[in-house]
Amino acid sequence: MAEVAYVNASRVFPGNPPVRAVDNLELAVADGEFLVLVGPSGSGKSTALRMLAGLEDVDEGTISIGGRDVTNVPPKGRDIAMVFQSYALYPHMTVAENMGFALKLRGVPRTRIKEKVGEAARMLDLEKFLDRKPKALSGGQRQRVAMGRAIVREPSVFLMDEPLSNLDAKLRVETRANIAALQQRLGTTTIYVTHDQVEAMTMGHRVAVLKDGVLQQCASPRELYERPANAFVAGFIGSPAMNLKTVPLTGEGAQLDGVVVPLPREVLDAVAAERLTEITFGVRPESLRLVGADEGDAVGRAFELTVELVEELGADAYVYGSARVGDRPERFIVRVDGRTPPAFGQRVRVAVRDLDEVHVFHPETGERLSG
Amino acid sequence: MRAFLVRHWYAYAMVLPVVIVVGVLVLFPLAQGIYFTLTNINEANIANPVLDRPASYEFVGLQNYLHVLSGSESYGAFWSTLVRTLIWTFGCVFFHYVVGLGLALLINRPVRMRGLYRVLLILPWAVPPFISVFAWRYLFNSQYGILNQGLATLGLPTPVWLGQSDLALFSVMVINIWLGVPFMMVTLLGGLQSIPHELYEAAEMDGASPWQRFRNVTLPGLRSVSSTVILLGVIWTFNLFHVIYLTAGQNPHTRILVTYAFERFFSGATRDYAVASTYGVLILSLLLVFVMFYRRAMRRQGEVW
Repeated sequence: MAEVAYVNASRVFPGNPPVRAVDNLELAVADGEFLVLVGPSGSGKSTALRMLAGLEDVDEGTISIGGRDVTNVPPKGRDIAMVFQSYALYPHMTVAENMGFALKLRGVPRTRIKEKVGEAARMLDLEKFLDRKPKALSGGQRQRVAMGRAIVREPSVFLMDEPLSNLDAKLRVETRANIAALQQRLGTTTIYVTHDQVEAMTMGHRVAVLKDGVLQQCASPRELYERPANAFVAGFIGSPAMNLKTVPLTGEGAQLDGVVVPLPREVLDAVAAERLTEITFGVRPESLRLVGADEGDAVGRAFELTVELVEELGADAYVYGSARVGDRPERFIVRVDGRTPPAFGQRVRVAVRDLDEVHVFHPETGERLSG
Repeated sequence: MRAFLVRHWYAYAMVLPVVIVVGVLVLFPLAQGIYFTLTNINEANIANPVLDRPASYEFVGLQNYLHVLSGSESYGAFWSTLVRTLIWTFGCVFFHYVVGLGLALLINRPVRMRGLYRVLLILPWAVPPFISVFAWRYLFNSQYGILNQGLATLGLPTPVWLGQSDLALFSVMVINIWLGVPFMMVTLLGGLQSIPHELYEAAEMDGASPWQRFRNVTLPGLRSVSSTVILLGVIWTFNLFHVIYLTAGQNPHTRILVTYAFERFFSGATRDYAVASTYGVLILSLLLVFVMFYRRAMRRQGEVW
């Protein structure tokens, strides 16, 4: 059990110019917390994890585990266990030997190793497979062995590097829940890297979003969803992605195809202070709704969309349509009830459900302007 | 039967050329060789169309085997030659493997000019063996060789490396080790590169020291490559003729089974084809037995990957 802290930690890969794979990462993880590092590929999330593991140098700043500075401590001395994307099971060892290897190296007596391995195997439902070699296991079983190998060591921190990306979709959902439950039960601080924002949202107590080696925001999943700190986070979290459009401003709000979406006072003040004539306007597909023909009072608040594509998912349907913003067409996605989706080519009217669900970002820096 | 042929004639027709080639080039000579071991065939009684002389050799049963296996000096001192062959084979293969693995490990790490080292280390293999062998003979020359000149300047004794002593065996082994290391190095380097990098990282996280990582990741990861190259190495070295013959000629101190079979076949007062064939068959049987035991041992270890 331990807390983890990155203090201005950077990893710079030599080159011309040098690549700052992780740039001044400042992140504190509480004891027992499940923190997810998420970002697109090349965002530095895996590098950040490997720095904590000791597999990658820390070029600037420090990293501490449980209050102890481990910046220059080899992996062995950090009291951590890691689950790799490829699982990295030793192919010539049985499941039991794989799980007990770290203990064997530490000189733990054989009976004690057997006990611990047995315990972990029970937890992960691997008892039947203890004598098998990894190649005789299915993908899901291998994944569990990799988890078991980490658990057996009882480390103070678990590191997981995309441990589910080699599983099929159904198994991934199942294992996702199992890992979260296991972490809850063991109460071990866990840092989990993924590129899948659904995993991030469902598993993490907090989620740290990285882009180009820079931490964008670290907050609870709810907070990330409701108040993304910038346009990148807004577009990355949520599926389908948020509609983010650069729109002209009027005195009261954002101008969309003959409709003005009113914006709160403080946003308008902030915009005025920056003397902006345009903003990045963000609204999630689920924050939009279709306006029925009978809703006369919606006139003036709804804008028109020409349907270009409808993706039906059963419960929901995603409507892709274009609307005029300023003088150019822009594509919007609207999440609608799966029972009554509009047809291709139809012209529908769309309104924002709740003005609180509108996000406003700076058109150049991408910083959040709305409260 | 007829229906079978009608259905599968095409497959048989496709296989036929290979069957013929293997039959003519392998099976027939093998059978003939085995037959010769049961006769007293030599240069004097083989059929000679030039002299218009018919074959007059006779069937002598297992006599050749009895002579050879008696270990008699006049039949090549089979047992002591066998011991020398085994020393030669396993000595060479052991050092091929150990030195090859060492170099492969060194060259596998990121060092500057790695490409250059690789080329240089593969070079001995690219030079035609007889050229290397003659170069080595000059190095080992007792009077003018650079080796002895070096030893002399250091005030050390200057032995006759390729003379009538066991030192000659040592010398030819040195030459053969030098010749054989590149092959081991290249194959083991390939094996090393096929070991997933994460395994080393996982072992590091598990707290393994560099030696423990070598023992628990590198060696098991190389097992299938190693078992193949060691098997091949043993067979090749056991039957390696040219290095010994080109370096030391018919020196009884470097005599191994194949070189003796060659001597018996091509030289001597009467070219004794029967005894040479007997040696050939014995070599083949020894290698078969070795391969059988080796494969069984490998299987017991569980050739996984």
